[in-house]
Amino acid sequence: MKKNMIAVVGLNYKTAPIDVLEKLSAGCGREGNFPAGLKAIPGVHEILHLSTCNRVELVASADDDSRPVDMLKSVLALNGALTDHEASCLYAYRDEDAIRHLFRVASSLDSLVMGETQILGQVKDAYRRALAENAIGIVLNRLMHRAFRTAKRVRTETGIAANPVSVSFAAVELAKKIFGSLAGKKILIIGAGEMAELTCMHLIGNGAEEITVANRSTAQAEMLAEKYHGRAVGLGALDEALCDADIVISSTGATSYVVTQDMVRGCLRKRKNRLLFLVDIAMPRDIDPAADSLENVYLYNIDHLQDIVDENMKNRRRESLKAEQIVHEEVAQYFNWLKELEAVPTIVSLRIKAEGIVRMEIAKESGWMEGLESADREKVEALVNGIVNKILHAPVTVMKEESAEFQSQDIVAAARQLFRLDD
Amino acid sequence: MASLETIMFVPALACCVLAMAGYLLSLLVKKVSLARVSTWILAASFVFLSLYLLLAAVHSTGWNHFGSRHFLSIYAWAIAGIYLGSQFKSKTRLLGSFIVPFILLLLIAAAGYGSDKNLVPPQWQSWLTKLHLLLAIAGEALFVLASAAGAMFIIQNNLLKHKKPGKMGRLLPSLGELDRINHLGLLWGFPLLTVGMIAGAVYAAFVWGGRWPADPKVIWSFTIWAAYGFLLHQRLAIGWKGSRIALLSCVAFLLFLSSALVIRFCFATVHNFI
Repeated sequence: MKKNMIAVVGLNYKTAPIDVLEKLSAGCGREGNFPAGLKAIPGVHEILHLSTCNRVELVASADDDSRPVDMLKSVLALNGALTDHEASCLYAYRDEDAIRHLFRVASSLDSLVMGETQILGQVKDAYRRALAENAIGIVLNRLMHRAFRTAKRVRTETGIAANPVSVSFAAVELAKKIFGSLAGKKILIIGAGEMAELTCMHLIGNGAEEITVANRSTAQAEMLAEKYHGRAVGLGALDEALCDADIVISSTGATSYVVTQDMVRGCLRKRKNRLLFLVDIAMPRDIDPAADSLENVYLYNIDHLQDIVDENMKNRRRESLKAEQIVHEEVAQYFNWLKELEAVPTIVSLRIKAEGIVRMEIAKESGWMEGLESADREKVEALVNGIVNKILHAPVTVMKEESAEFQSQDIVAAARQLFRLDD
Repeated sequence: MASLETIMFVPALACCVLAMAGYLLSLLVKKVSLARVSTWILAASFVFLSLYLLLAAVHSTGWNHFGSRHFLSIYAWAIAGIYLGSQFKSKTRLLGSFIVPFILLLLIAAAGYGSDKNLVPPQWQSWLTKLHLLLAIAGEALFVLASAAGAMFIIQNNLLKHKKPGKMGRLLPSLGELDRINHLGLLWGFPLLTVGMIAGAVYAAFVWGGRWPADPKVIWSFTIWAAYGFLLHQRLAIGWKGSRIALLSCVAFLLFLSSALVIRFCFATVHNFI
């Protein structure tokens, strides 16, 4: 009998430079296609293809020898047209290591930003694609569901995804701490930078409504404003826009202050002292730090936000210890199930062999048995079957029980030899 | 105290102690969930207290048998009720940790008073005095809520201004919500107190003639009323918001608290209920 194993082959942001990663991954934000030919690799029974911005991996259930792993590696290398040197970035995990790796990936413990929640969705997508391709059977099915379960436990039982670890999310969190609900809050974006847009997007996602974009080039401002159904103004109308806004995000390339303390002070009365949240993500700074000394004005620059993010990251690392423990438990449970599974084919062939013997022996004796009453004949057959079952009961039970333990392979191998199942 | 009333008062006090412990713990371990549970325990305390006061009201005829314990309990009941009411509209469970100490102190003081002797002389009993008492207490309870929100605002404001929100900042309610509660407390508390004081004044004018303004409690109450009136005016007309109002609310509240204590222990007054 051939044994099965679980293997993970691939590369990620830790093992491969970005240009190598890019050769293999379908590109960020796009769903990778299920590469053709994966199912046809000899020795591979089930396979799943995971491709994200930061990793490309194949998860497979395959024959337990080194050939399938080598094949998987060369398929990946071929797929991305990797040179020999680049192909050395590929890693391969087997069995327990592979299961642990997959569970850690799904739980976002292996992510670039530990605790990010996107990866679980990506793993689920990969699973769905493989299902659609009919590339998944009982082993990977169970494995993936275990991976999802592990990820869910990690998310709910640890604080690993609790606090924001990106500057834009940290700004949103602060806005919530200042305003409570962001519903109906007005946002002013100064300078149409990428980071400001990202922060703005998160704020809108949390209920903020009116968007105003102020930029030196109004064309660019209009483009951004249109995207979020807002309005665009030139820098000349900044004063007025500032008085109107609740949240200001500034990221211009200007070398001097775009928003001065006096501008903010001039607004306070007009805005009836409503709370004002200023986010300065520009380098050099756009908003005069002195504005922070004004009442009901909260100014955070990129350094302040980065400090908060660093602190949260430290907390996540602490929480990851708990998460690793959960992964450890789940791996052990899955591995037990897998080992139990190893005994199943042997038990099945044992039963088939026994039934064959019974059928053959009864056929041999058919001469005198034909003289029996049909009721008596049934009794004889029942007796024979009963004896066979009794004899098989003990070895089958032992195989099932022992297979959950580590030495299962020996017991299963012994049973195959004792009953000559491989002949 | 009738035994059935005691049966209601004791669990009210016990629940309040438990809620206090819960709030303290939630501040200590920085978990909002504990404050959430504590709010429910406080609600239980409020229910027992309501039953206790209901029984007391049924037992008494007019103001007879209505003593210090009852007055203090009404104070505690009003503050608890107003805080719990505010929780329907906002998610500021942690605010309870600043309010429950007052409720607890009032209940402990209530428990300490053995006498149920009648504090309101029979000749003063009128619907006007009842109105005066209830509205004044409700108004003051709202000021307690407004000031507690103000105190919490100051702490949260400091955390955010110093760019170190951390775990504490995450735990405490948002500035916007605290400011709103402060606003509502002042907005509702001031008219209630005003009507309550007018009711008292009208009654006093009839019964006492020209003698009543000399009562120290009256003079102090008028000062406090003016202070809160000023705050509300600044808030509504001038547009003061946030930290300045929060700070002034706390100052006004300290003034109110110290005046109440000073009058209680140092002066003779007709308002000698507690």
